[in-house]
Amino acid sequence: MNDQLNPGWHPSRRQMLESVSSGFGFLAFSSLATMALAQEKQDGRNANPLAVKPPHFPAKAKRVIFLCMRGGPSHLDTFDYKPELIKNDGKTGPFRGSLLKSPWAFNQRGQSGLWISELFPELGKKADDLCLLRGMNTDQPVHPRAVTQMHTGNAQFVRPSLGAWTLYGLGTENESMPGFVSVNPAAGTAQTYGSAFLPAIYQGTKLNGSRLSGGRFRGGRLDVAPDLKNPRFNDSQQRNQLDFIQRLNKEKLRREKQHPGIEGVIESYELAFRMQSEMPELMDVSGEDQKTLDLYGIGGGETDKFGKQCLLARRMSESGVRFVEITHENWDTHFGMSTRLPQLCKEIDKPVAGLLQDLKQRDLLKDTLVIWAGEFGRTPYAQGGDGRDHNNKGYTTWMAGGGVKGGFSFGATDEMGGEAVEGKCHIHDWHATILHLLGLKHEELTYRYAGRDFRLTDVHGNVLTDIIA
Amino acid sequence: MITRWNKRYAIIFAILMCVVWVASSRAQEETVQEENLTAEQVMFFESRIRPVLVRECYSCHSTRSQVKGGLWLDTKAGARGGGDSGPAIVPGDLAESMLWSAINHQDYKMPPRKKLSEDTIADFRQWIEMGAPDPRIQEVTRVNTKITQADIEEGKQFWSFKKPAPPNVPVVENTKWPVTDIDHFILSQLEQNGLKPACDAEATTFLRRLSFDLIGLPPTPEQIAWLTRNWEKDREQAIAHVVDSLIAKPEFGERWGRHWLDVARYAESSGKELNLTYPQAWRYRDYVIDSFNDDKPYNQFIEEQIAGDLLPVKSDEQWAENLIATGFLAIGPKTLTEQNGLQFQQDLIDEQIDVATRVVLGVSVACARCHDHKFDPIPQADYYAMAGIFKSTTTHYGTLKTFQNRRSSNLLVLPVEDLNPFDAKISTRELARLKAELADKQKELREYQFQRRNQRSSDAKENPAFSIVKVIRTTSEVGALQAKISAYDENGHPYTYFMGVQSADQPVNARLLVRGEFDKPAQVVNRGIPQVLTDEPVNIRSKSSGRLELARWMASHDNPLTARVMVNRVWQHMFGTGIVRTPENFGATGREPTHPELLDHLAIEFQKNNWSVKTLIREIATSRIYRTDSTFDEQSFEIDPENQLVWRVAPRRLEAEVIRDSILAISGELDSERPRASLVAEFGTAMIRDGVMISTVGADNPEIKTGIMSPGRMQGRTAQVGTAAVPGGMLDVGRSNRSPVIAKIDQPVKYRSVYLPVIRDNVTRSMEVFDFAESSMVVGVRESSNTPDQGLFFLNNQFVINQSDAIARRIMKEKNQVREQIKLAFLLAYGREASSSELAAAESFYRKFEISPSRFGPNRSVQRLSAVCQAILASAEFRFVN
Repeated sequence: MNDQLNPGWHPSRRQMLESVSSGFGFLAFSSLATMALAQEKQDGRNANPLAVKPPHFPAKAKRVIFLCMRGGPSHLDTFDYKPELIKNDGKTGPFRGSLLKSPWAFNQRGQSGLWISELFPELGKKADDLCLLRGMNTDQPVHPRAVTQMHTGNAQFVRPSLGAWTLYGLGTENESMPGFVSVNPAAGTAQTYGSAFLPAIYQGTKLNGSRLSGGRFRGGRLDVAPDLKNPRFNDSQQRNQLDFIQRLNKEKLRREKQHPGIEGVIESYELAFRMQSEMPELMDVSGEDQKTLDLYGIGGGETDKFGKQCLLARRMSESGVRFVEITHENWDTHFGMSTRLPQLCKEIDKPVAGLLQDLKQRDLLKDTLVIWAGEFGRTPYAQGGDGRDHNNKGYTTWMAGGGVKGGFSFGATDEMGGEAVEGKCHIHDWHATILHLLGLKHEELTYRYAGRDFRLTDVHGNVLTDIIA
Repeated sequence: MITRWNKRYAIIFAILMCVVWVASSRAQEETVQEENLTAEQVMFFESRIRPVLVRECYSCHSTRSQVKGGLWLDTKAGARGGGDSGPAIVPGDLAESMLWSAINHQDYKMPPRKKLSEDTIADFRQWIEMGAPDPRIQEVTRVNTKITQADIEEGKQFWSFKKPAPPNVPVVENTKWPVTDIDHFILSQLEQNGLKPACDAEATTFLRRLSFDLIGLPPTPEQIAWLTRNWEKDREQAIAHVVDSLIAKPEFGERWGRHWLDVARYAESSGKELNLTYPQAWRYRDYVIDSFNDDKPYNQFIEEQIAGDLLPVKSDEQWAENLIATGFLAIGPKTLTEQNGLQFQQDLIDEQIDVATRVVLGVSVACARCHDHKFDPIPQADYYAMAGIFKSTTTHYGTLKTFQNRRSSNLLVLPVEDLNPFDAKISTRELARLKAELADKQKELREYQFQRRNQRSSDAKENPAFSIVKVIRTTSEVGALQAKISAYDENGHPYTYFMGVQSADQPVNARLLVRGEFDKPAQVVNRGIPQVLTDEPVNIRSKSSGRLELARWMASHDNPLTARVMVNRVWQHMFGTGIVRTPENFGATGREPTHPELLDHLAIEFQKNNWSVKTLIREIATSRIYRTDSTFDEQSFEIDPENQLVWRVAPRRLEAEVIRDSILAISGELDSERPRASLVAEFGTAMIRDGVMISTVGADNPEIKTGIMSPGRMQGRTAQVGTAAVPGGMLDVGRSNRSPVIAKIDQPVKYRSVYLPVIRDNVTRSMEVFDFAESSMVVGVRESSNTPDQGLFFLNNQFVINQSDAIARRIMKEKNQVREQIKLAFLLAYGREASSSELAAAESFYRKFEISPSRFGPNRSVQRLSAVCQAILASAEFRFVN
């Protein structure tokens, strides 16, 4: 008990019960609830598992927008400038096949002079916000497993995802919205937003982004989550019905005296009712002005689809969603790279630059960590003359905002760009760093399951302190 | 008497869909025998072979580079094991060695850019012919444990590793209260802590609790009336009567079987990144349900699941049942995309060890895969002693062979025929046509593969995209045709397949793996069972895999854990929490039992009563404590906020199945008959995408598609089937020139929830929303959350609305007055009479509720009453039980 800390506070038993039995929100009932109740009784902490929790130490980043580039984008043609590779174009490399220089020019951009490929003209303008991690490496050389490892740290077993750990560590700021949202994740990637052994409350909510592909939002709205709309009753009819439901609930609660489960139901209905209107509102971008839509490249054309995802990500972040992930496919350029890669880059260039600018002008970039990453990179040697193979030994990801150094490059691959040699950042280190930026110690963010304490980084992970502003 | 020895006659292995354990079985031999190499052999390898491998092969085929084709050449195990296409080197056999044909550019062209010189090729011939002597054995380290024999002996003194001791039934002060022995144990601890048990619940509360706990369905108004009448007359007799009648119902097995399926991580698909169906998994589900209904002794139930294939049997039927039981070891999640066969085998063994030990024994031996167990005295070597048992076992789980699926296996055929209605016979002509088609497709595939290899080696003339897409597509087509053909014998008569395990021909011991890494083997460990769990080492014969010995030891009366773990599970399902609150962890990091003597008492009685689960449940259900009220009591809460001492029966939220089944039961639309097989079985081998199953075979063939397309073969369900294009692309299955057949997983069926398809990561809406067990994991305790999503489900979901209409129609049929109708709705949903204020509120809502005119849906009076019924379902009382 905190009596020593608050010597003036001596609640009666009755008061104590009242105070501890309110505000359980989504709380799992039975054992978890009673244990939490006992816990709360002991130290007065809020036992709602989604309540905002203080980080382990003060940190800048409060939320994450993860731009997931599925398929393995080529670092050698985007963010990892390799003059030696240009010189050795066509030669037989240390691996196999002939080395292939990037067909695209690199330029130094911004005050910082970061080398960025001409494929990202718009994003290049934001160079001074970017923190490039050029020494990335991971264990898995094939797509599905590498995607899983990027999200959960482990391709072998079913483990909680980065977003679920984040939500578990920090709670959510808006209880009318899910705390972790994944827009349009690829098929077969349920693990990327799963909670595994963490309580299901931390699982990501998958929003169906397929409706985003249309020319405009349908009627300015999206139908993205199940059961958001009643097929029969209008809002006022439903409110009447809900009032009757709540009356039954309250009567039940009165009879039972104390019952956190029923309180949870009462609260969850009000939240459900709010979500019913808030979620579609969030999806309704008709209120955004033309300038904003233009900024993201929304309005038809190649940038439209990802632009809408970026805009949604900003709207959700702004409303307090802790972790938003949006996905762009398909960067797997084994062949036809000379035509496909420019197309892929174009689809995201303006939307991502727009997102960074929009966050900045709303003063959100300082505490929003934007992450851009694929599951691995590509080889310096050619595949079939106009393509590159998978490369998990060296690649580039970047971060922006949320307390990272802008206009900064950390780590390096070898001269040809094949393997990380300096400032190496294994995927476990990457996870440790992301958690650190959010104020979470990756060694202390644990959950006990099957008799042992699990963490996102297992027994690995070093924080890249050099990139912190 | 038929014994396991006649397995040759009955087990016919499926001829197709067959990537057998080439890699693993060869590696196993190696672990048993070390070669003695001569100095000349070593010299030959070091001077003529190793430098070539390093120069020409390692950049693509080594543990330090990529692993093209799943082939490692930088370790002996990797070279002998080979890659996706087969063993690279078979000592002394040029024809079987893929490496030989590859360096001769016969099928593969390796190295791709330049053929090796004639001299070098001749060296390889000589090397393989002399038996491919390979001195590259990693320094076999010996991993020593820090856990001493004394630690293990001390560990055996831990409470759960000691055999249960028969406790004295404690004496209590309030001698009038207890009814059974259980009550003495509970009351004694309550009294010691200054607590009193709550008073008896009302008949209605008790009946609803009992009915949900025993059969997962709400009581009927008739049952309520009967028990209420007899509650005051002769309570003991009335309770005994109701318990007996519920426990005898077939719904009992459906309820308790599902609890078991939670821990057995039952599912009908592989899960993970490449999610493929297990169309035969349902046989295991039905086996579990039937076992609970038959009150099969629990130790026999365990024996069958661990080693059913090896138990002596009296008939083929019994043998078939035992074989299906071994599905327990086969239905786990699988990473079918794993390139490395050895890694896959290690992971499979690990999953089997983990499930078997946590489910049956409540200890996590799998913690010792990479290092000594951190908390319990289980040295790493003890893990590998168990690994040897499962390494000497083959696992048969099927799955469609596709381009991405590197690890499909064959299935087994049951010794008795037990066909599905949709496994129709096909004509021999049709079979011949399929085989001809397969032959064509295989030829086509070989051509594409050849083209692709040549393209990769020389500079491409054709766009490589075309050949890879062709290979992907044709591989899927071949796989689907093989699956189809392998379903029939030569006369077109379907086989009865099942998932399960068999013993390997040659039992082997496993090597301890340093940090659990498959390429870092250390000393060989003899097959065995963790020392801390056994008084005497369990003797495993050299000819035996050890699985039967493991099963017998688990099922024996001497095992300190098996009975305790199961009685704890049963207690937990009746009271919401177990006596040990960590049902899969009875080890050092688990919670200690709140009532250690009661736990031992129940375990000993359980064994005495021939491990009868029904007897145990009857014992608990007739106890005094089980019938106490769940009323909150402030004073008791102050002393024991977690209700660890059971001063009341704590309220619980109902599970997803109970909620859905109860809605259907109340509306009268529940189809209580067991559907034959499952939706997944009906659909067959397929892949899962976003809530649909996709098959690529049969859509253009009327004879075959009847099985898939015909509606109504399963009770009460209209199949929703259609065709659609499969998304294409490099990461996807190739687009087929056939139209794939697809079917939604979430179908408007009305049978009990336990029969709904269980597809990993694609749980149906009504299950997922109420914390259905994550089917990739052992789930002993389900979560029970209260989320806004559940609110949205009750407010807006079409199933809920349709069922509310059905309830409205039912009560309108049974009663004339609105007030009576509403009263009946309350009785059906909550198992009690509505209070006067509830009734008033409901009537007032009904009167004021305006229905908008609509041409759709039921008429307005049904809609109004339906709105009331929906609210009754949506309110908290419906989903909680006291």
